[in-house]
Amino acid sequence: MDDALVLNEVTKRFGTFTAVDRLSVRMPRGEIIGFLGPNGAGKTTTIRMLMSITYPDEGSMEVLGRPRAIDVKDRIGYLPEERGLYRKMTVDHTLRYFGQLKGMPAAALKSRIGELLESVGLSNWRRHTTESLSKGMQQKIQFIATILHDPELVVLDEPFSGLDPLNRDLLETLLRDLKRRGKTVLFSTHQLEQAERLCDRILLIHRGRKLVDGTIEDVRSRFAARKLVLSGEGDFEQLRRSPGVVDEHVTVGGAWLELDATADPQAVLRRAMEIAKLTQFEIARPTLQEIFVRLVGQDEAAAVLPPTEATR
Amino acid sequence: MNKILVVAFREFIETVKTRAFFIGVILMPGLIVGAIFLSNSITEAGARERAPKKIMAVLDQTGSVFPFLEARIRKFNDENPQRPLEATTTDSDEAALQAGVRRHDFYAYIVIPTGVVADDEPCRMGRGDSQLQLGKTLERLIGEAVKDARFAASDPPIDRKRVERLEREVPVTTVDITTGEATRDDSMTRLMAPFFMVFLLYMGTFGISMGLLTSVLEEKSSRVVELLLAALSPTQLMAGKILGISVVGLVVLATWSLVGWFGARAQHMEHLLSMTRMTVLVLYFIPGFLFMAAVLAGIGAACNTLKEAQSLSSPLTIVNIVPMMLWFYLSQYPHTPLSVALSFIPPITPMVMVLRVCADPAVPIWQIVATLTFLWASVFAAIWAAGKIFRVGVLMYGKPPTLRELARWVRFR
Repeated sequence: MDDALVLNEVTKRFGTFTAVDRLSVRMPRGEIIGFLGPNGAGKTTTIRMLMSITYPDEGSMEVLGRPRAIDVKDRIGYLPEERGLYRKMTVDHTLRYFGQLKGMPAAALKSRIGELLESVGLSNWRRHTTESLSKGMQQKIQFIATILHDPELVVLDEPFSGLDPLNRDLLETLLRDLKRRGKTVLFSTHQLEQAERLCDRILLIHRGRKLVDGTIEDVRSRFAARKLVLSGEGDFEQLRRSPGVVDEHVTVGGAWLELDATADPQAVLRRAMEIAKLTQFEIARPTLQEIFVRLVGQDEAAAVLPPTEATR
Repeated sequence: MNKILVVAFREFIETVKTRAFFIGVILMPGLIVGAIFLSNSITEAGARERAPKKIMAVLDQTGSVFPFLEARIRKFNDENPQRPLEATTTDSDEAALQAGVRRHDFYAYIVIPTGVVADDEPCRMGRGDSQLQLGKTLERLIGEAVKDARFAASDPPIDRKRVERLEREVPVTTVDITTGEATRDDSMTRLMAPFFMVFLLYMGTFGISMGLLTSVLEEKSSRVVELLLAALSPTQLMAGKILGISVVGLVVLATWSLVGWFGARAQHMEHLLSMTRMTVLVLYFIPGFLFMAAVLAGIGAACNTLKEAQSLSSPLTIVNIVPMMLWFYLSQYPHTPLSVALSFIPPITPMVMVLRVCADPAVPIWQIVATLTFLWASVFAAIWAAGKIFRVGVLMYGKPPTLRELARWVRFR
């Protein structure tokens, strides 16, 4: 099966500012993909290009196998970051309007709207104007408008921002439900623990460039071998000078070591067993949060160094 | 195409529900009709007014005019019993008379100088108020009295009645060339009818398509627009909105035309709404409306608040007032180079051409073809440029663009 989304060296500039810089990535169908990156990293610009709302200056892309999303708009659900509703329209009229715009027949719309309102607990609000709804309710309506036409690909820009914990859980459930029914979901977020819980795959960008992408397992394992936690009885001081240690914290009862890419954690373990009676040895799995902070931090540092230093 | 229709339908329904539409289509014609009836009945009521007697103190230095004035006033009182006048003769000097008027001893004073009968020395009158009609009446009465005195003093004597008989008005009946029947004396209506047509054209295009600007602004400010763009392209969105508002414009034009037609029939003035005039009106209204709608959609997409949009559209507003200001010139001199040149300025082409054709249906056919071609070309150019601006502007928040930036948006690929 072909990929849901493919980006090939996609670049977008606004004047002299490069918002997205030669971004290449493939995202398979049927997965939940987290799109991560600090503010201003180029997430929204990338998403807008995927949705044919703006167009790349260079590079090419494929959305559901087509070069432009505009050709497959009725098979995509898109929830933009900048979103709102017609204030004076009722919930029912609003959803009908969006449904019709997505090419749905009127007969199918009626029951579908009822069904979806039921699933988010807003059945009683169908005849109310959208301005009488709370912000959280409005967001649910916007989400319903996004998935009303049962799209194959759902793209959500910051869908969780502004939601309370209960609604956040509800939305997570709805997204998992989409995945279970074989849909592809791409969403951008700042909440890393959530991405970790929810996503099969992540894409992390910074300053318009890709820092890392892959399945969560894959990304983690690439960084997993770098952090060791040891405890027990013995003189852990000697471990400070093990080859490849870049950061350490040693106490009487144990040590916390961070290794560079060349170091072998097994060698450190063997050494530790010689000098101490271990009660715990753990190759800690870094959280997405840590990976994010480290990668973005390194990239930030590289940006302020002269080019020769940065590429060394 | 289907999506364009969905947008157009919503745009139509939402516009019809707005206050501006209600005012434009129902209230305005209603008010105009109401105002005409009301002003008629008010004037009638005014004519029935019973005014207290007004006294004039007359300082007659000729010694011959006063009896004639008294006779004229007597005749006036017989014809207007509810507004009686009275003249009394006096010897006081003018300053004392002015003080008398200020004290309300009498309504006005009149000085008839010696030179008025033989020469052109003016009479003088001072009044306590400035009622227009009464002033005109008094001037006429004084004038007639002085003329009576002049006729009486002429040598050999001339009979004034005979002179008046010879000088009486020559009636001319206006005949409607389509029905062959005599029409009412309506030179004023004839002059004003094209002006009303242009005014309706202005209200119809500018007033209604302004609604498009507000609706684009609303979609931007309520952040609905990107949700819409998830479903259709900016071009489709703009096309749908323009289509919807154009249907509204046609409804307004049709309503007003019907009201005008029945109104004209009721007043027996069908000849004012000839086939030529109506055809020209419709031929120019449609592209004129589309042009305005496209430009205002572009402006709406470029701005964030009504205030910004108003300042960006102010040149257009000013240009649109030009035909209204020049309506008299255009309808009196439809063939001057200026009139022809004004016909080629797209936003005002419809108004200028309607005025010119109403003034003289013999406007050269090549000018009609050329202005329509040019107007339609401008319509397509405006829609193309507005589409470009719409695509960029609709997602731009913050500072409104300058005209130069707008030009750059148009050049974006």
